[in-house]
Amino acid sequence: MENIVGGKSALVWAVHLSVGLLVVLWLFPTVGLFVSSFRTADQISSSGWWSSLGEVQQNLVLRAADPDEFRVERDGRYVVEGTLFEEGVAAKITVWGTSSRRIDEFKPGDVADLKKGETITVDAVGNYLWSGPEERMKGRGQRVFVTAQTPPDFTLANYDNMLFEEDNLEGMSNAFFSTLTVTIPATIIPIAIAAFAAYALAWMEFPGRSLLIAAVVGLLVVPLQLALIPLLKLHLGIGIGKGYLGVWLAHTGFGLPLAIYLLRNYMASLPRDIIENARVDGATDFQIFTRIILPLSYPALASFAIFQFLWTWNDLLVAKVFLIDATGETTVMTNHIVELLGTRGGNWEILATAAFVSIAVPLLVFFLMQRYLVRGLLAGSVK
Amino acid sequence: MKKLVIAAAIAVWLLTTQSVVAEQVTVFGPWLGPDQEMVKKVLSAFASDSGHDVRYVGSDSFEQQIMVDAEAGSAPNVAVFPQPGLAMDMAKRGFLTPLAADTADWVRKNYAAGDSWVDLGTYADKNGKPQLFGFFYKVDVKSLVWYVPENFEDAGYEVPQTMEELKALTKQIVADGDTPWCIGLGSGGATGWPATDWVEDMMLRTQSPDVYDQWVTNQVKFNDPRVIEAIEEFGYFARNDKYVAGGAATVASTDFRDSPKGMFSSPPQCYMHRQASFIPAFFPEGAVVGEDADFFYFPAYAGKELGKPVLGAGTLWAITKDSKGAHDLLKWLREPKAHEIWMALKGFLTPHKGVDPNKFSDPTLRKMNDILLTATTFRFDGSDLMPGGVGAGTFWTGMVDYTGGKSAEAVTQEIQKSWDALK
Repeated sequence: MENIVGGKSALVWAVHLSVGLLVVLWLFPTVGLFVSSFRTADQISSSGWWSSLGEVQQNLVLRAADPDEFRVERDGRYVVEGTLFEEGVAAKITVWGTSSRRIDEFKPGDVADLKKGETITVDAVGNYLWSGPEERMKGRGQRVFVTAQTPPDFTLANYDNMLFEEDNLEGMSNAFFSTLTVTIPATIIPIAIAAFAAYALAWMEFPGRSLLIAAVVGLLVVPLQLALIPLLKLHLGIGIGKGYLGVWLAHTGFGLPLAIYLLRNYMASLPRDIIENARVDGATDFQIFTRIILPLSYPALASFAIFQFLWTWNDLLVAKVFLIDATGETTVMTNHIVELLGTRGGNWEILATAAFVSIAVPLLVFFLMQRYLVRGLLAGSVK
Repeated sequence: MKKLVIAAAIAVWLLTTQSVVAEQVTVFGPWLGPDQEMVKKVLSAFASDSGHDVRYVGSDSFEQQIMVDAEAGSAPNVAVFPQPGLAMDMAKRGFLTPLAADTADWVRKNYAAGDSWVDLGTYADKNGKPQLFGFFYKVDVKSLVWYVPENFEDAGYEVPQTMEELKALTKQIVADGDTPWCIGLGSGGATGWPATDWVEDMMLRTQSPDVYDQWVTNQVKFNDPRVIEAIEEFGYFARNDKYVAGGAATVASTDFRDSPKGMFSSPPQCYMHRQASFIPAFFPEGAVVGEDADFFYFPAYAGKELGKPVLGAGTLWAITKDSKGAHDLLKWLREPKAHEIWMALKGFLTPHKGVDPNKFSDPTLRKMNDILLTATTFRFDGSDLMPGGVGAGTFWTGMVDYTGGKSAEAVTQEIQKSWDALK
């Protein structure tokens, strides 16, 4: 007996470990993105996100204050004094230099000779004293190359810029509400249509039914890109043009095959007895559908709703083709984020931040409805 | 009472006539982010001059979207093409409207090297008749080498005036124990394009402009020894582990947007970076062009007597849906004011001879514009003029293969094969 119990617990451990490993593996990129969203553009491009978590040794190029403004006369020499770091940065300098060729020439406290009789000295926390002879010190502030231990440095500036800066705030809230205007009907319409269709395909006898099912399944593999131009032509031809109605119809069309397929499989797996009993008792097809099938199919409906909502929320392509016209009056979140990225892209800090801003609503939807997701996914496969 | 009625009638009349004249003009272009704000400033000046309601929408997938919209029939009034090749295709399929008849003459007279700008905007229409479809507004200079003046000062280097000096400087930096160049070709789906600029620049520095023109139209085959020579000139810099930061193997995988940042690191990873006039947008935050970073003209060989060739690119405005407002806009772009508004902002160069150069927001832009205006030879980015399958396809991937170690002969042979397949 003991052997068996022991064997079982080892297996459980193995399962737990591998699940844990998979979770870490899956979350790893997301964590990286999350950490990056709190870093500045320069930090992102100069070091990896993992190095930002602890104290790091950094090579920095800093600059003394502009002598034309901050120069003071003292004992017959001109002096510029100050600190290299911004206020509140608790960095500790190990070595420093004044030439890009020899960045580790001096230790804190050493005095470096510069051209034209000028000298500069830097201490361990970044205070410097730069002085020159009587002829006026001019030009730009002296460059100082420091190697310093810096504590972790995170910023909320990315989120601040994206959510609270005046121009962006208006654009973002605009985009948010128009995305909702797109996604909510684009989720409800296909579900409504697909539920009726699925019932008919599952429980109503008519010639050609299996052919119809096969056709719907076949449509699953048709890439939607194929339909963009002809569908847009059709919309323009019948006067819908580019707009919300067009994008709802497009999302409905592109979502229907999967919706019908999922719901039909689920409905077909419901016990035949219930439906036959209802028929014997004189229920019409419509009554069976609304009183019996719909309440029983709730998990499948909810799980498809999650799918469709996530897909329409994250969509950029369909919105660009069917919604966003040249007047610029309509937009969606994804498109707004692309705009923020700039002409040539590459603003990684905005990308990372935008990802978490736009993920917020889908996450909420997912956590509220996730218990239906698994049930719906298994629809028809287990009883 | 009567007066009031008349006043009201006049007001109504004024309103209605106004709305007849003013119309909505939609503009679709490749600019987003800060660039979008700038183009909107220019367009709002047009709006207040003309009374039209002007709308601008930008997209990062401009090339695909304009095709979808044109095919389906929902094209904007005016489209701003980043490459002439795409405009040429669209003109051939009848999606573009020819510009006003006097435009060509105006461009010839008022643009530096006016003839070449007219040629670049002239394509065959649906019936094969050549017409002027595109008006160039906002150009980039590509033949620039960026450097950090203070690093040059620290090491005692001088700005090279000839290609011979540039190569000598490259060797000197290596001898001093440093790495001269930062080169990055990574650009997502467009990876490889920075190398095509290198090769085009080298083509102009080793061959006459005629050969360049024939190469762009494939009269000179892609696997011609002269083209191979130009590619190997690029390879001189990019395929030498000692010449490139990170070694030659990292050239293709380094993102072009991150590549220039190596010049600003401590200690500097490299001393020079060859890239077009837009690249300061990707310098570290706070870097001031003219102080923290500067540029010099990518020099020509003193020994070849090919003058001072300049490679450039530009955006071309074309009418995709005919309307009076669209023609008004294209006509308004001829005014010096239209150019000066953007000159006073950032990143704008123009071949317009009538503008006031004092309007440039900073002296470096003016210096760049002078390179453009004083060029003995100006040639447009060749890969933008080649058919899309080559110029935005096999040429890019071929250059990635080349920096990866494939021979120039093998690469050019493949590119030529892909070009033949397109004919």
